Amino acid sequence: MTQLAMGANAPISSPTFTLDVDLPTGGQIDVTALLLYGDGKVRGDGDMCFFNQTSIGGGAVSLRIQGDRQSFSFDLGKMPPDVEKIVVNATLENGAFSAVADLDLTTSDGIKIPVATAGRSEAALILCEIYRRNDQWKIRNVSQGFNGGLQALAEHFGVEVAAPEPTPVKPTPSVDLSKVSLTKRESTISLKKDDGKFGRIRINLNWNQKKTSGGLFGFGKRGIDLDLGAFIEFKTGEFGVVQALGDCFGDLTEMPFTQLMSDDRTGTSTDGEWLEIDGNAWPKFKRILIFAFIYEGVANWQETDGVIRLMVPGQPEVEVRMNELSAGRNEGMCAVALLENKDNQIRINREVRFFTGHEAMDNAYDWGMRWKAGRK
Amino acid sequence: MAVSLQKGGNVSLSKEAPGLSKVTVGLGWDPRVTDGAEFDLDASVFVCGEDGKVLSDKHFVFYNNAKSPDGSVEHTGDNRSGEGEGDDEQVKIDLSAVPAEVKKLVFAVTIHEGASRKQNFGQVANAFMRVINQDGEKELARYDLSEDYSTETAMIFGEVYRHNADWKFKAIGGGFEGGLGPLASSHGVNLG
Repeated sequence: MTQLAMGANAPISSPTFTLDVDLPTGGQIDVTALLLYGDGKVRGDGDMCFFNQTSIGGGAVSLRIQGDRQSFSFDLGKMPPDVEKIVVNATLENGAFSAVADLDLTTSDGIKIPVATAGRSEAALILCEIYRRNDQWKIRNVSQGFNGGLQALAEHFGVEVAAPEPTPVKPTPSVDLSKVSLTKRESTISLKKDDGKFGRIRINLNWNQKKTSGGLFGFGKRGIDLDLGAFIEFKTGEFGVVQALGDCFGDLTEMPFTQLMSDDRTGTSTDGEWLEIDGNAWPKFKRILIFAFIYEGVANWQETDGVIRLMVPGQPEVEVRMNELSAGRNEGMCAVALLENKDNQIRINREVRFFTGHEAMDNAYDWGMRWKAGRK
Repeated sequence: MAVSLQKGGNVSLSKEAPGLSKVTVGLGWDPRVTDGAEFDLDASVFVCGEDGKVLSDKHFVFYNNAKSPDGSVEHTGDNRSGEGEGDDEQVKIDLSAVPAEVKKLVFAVTIHEGASRKQNFGQVANAFMRVINQDGEKELARYDLSEDYSTETAMIFGEVYRHNADWKFKAIGGGFEGGLGPLASSHGVNLG
């Protein structure tokens, strides 16, 4: 049994081992493990192993919580090669560590790491670190921390914590900061330009086409084909539709100042379908309804993982994800976003409403077109 | 280009810079980034004779005794935090004025009250020692203490010593338990 004093280190003999963290009973203490790279920082939320994400690094680190004993399992052979260090931390919900009893860490190969809490003003402690040293993994008793608690600790290691929430929240796919994502809660954005001229507005529909293997004979299931289109209404009362169906590709230089650039029938094209609008003609428009419909395949919108991105020159990119369940299997039509002319601003509202077809959607939005079935 | 030394290695400063007289020895380390008790590292110099002991207690140059009796070795002051780029503490030496009976200058860094604050070199990162020619400020030699240190509270970084007519610099990187007191005693300093 090796006992490591604060600052002391020892080599780790086995690439797979467990680290038991015995917490004082009744303390509101959480333990986390962070994967750190060459700059001493994490690369993302996926590098944090904690109660809401109990396995990281492809199984390199996992956490099991049983009351006051929280155990990390390490498989260093699975550790991504550019991970230089794993730090194991304890954080208190309230107060300082001086108020709780000592913590004891023990590895399955018999290394004991006592962490004394007497006199400790910190609310977050780095208990130990597991690090590479000349091709050898070692473990060190660190026993140092931050008065500012988990947030100070997380920020030190490059983890973003939603302030002032002290407990880590389950990581969700984060949106690029330069984009505006319209969600159920924040469903509207207004884009403003003093002269009402927005340049060329580009709208992209993209989706993941999952290649499901086709059973016994190896025939692939036919993929889903998503089409992008738009209902358009002008201030004059004129209206129309731009879509591949019925060859209504539109025109960018004259009415309807909207054009479908190409039709990606297979879904294999990586950048999906593009619709362009002459934003300089925006003052003529009353409203545009951007929609997607499933031309072929079962109406399973969740599987399409569809996303529509709206790019207006000089404006933040707006994206709408079609990640909600449609009510019925035959609802192959999705109204994605409604662009309305409000005093020549573009007011974009996230719709994500599902319909059985063009006519039902037309009725719902009161466009007033006549519909007959078409094929492209 | 300065000579980069490994632990145990040495280099002739006189050969690196013929006619060398005044040098600055810079010692550095990274400050702790965590909270808790203050972390104060101090550099000191033992001005030793043939027997490896200080010539007198006054030849122990540290934060309370900034100069050797002849003034040839001068500690430029205590940096309490280790903040800032470059050297954390510096010692200026006029090699041409160092008395002939001085055979070596031992440079050590100790953690102030390390034992009571439970601090040690296992918690110190990126320590180094370098020798700069004051004439032109060129770095002559550098030693990065890349060892994986542990519970030592005192560390001999390196020594500048006479070898025949030359001055040489040796990288040591030797840890020492117990802090400045025992380290000073072992170099012949009489502690009050």
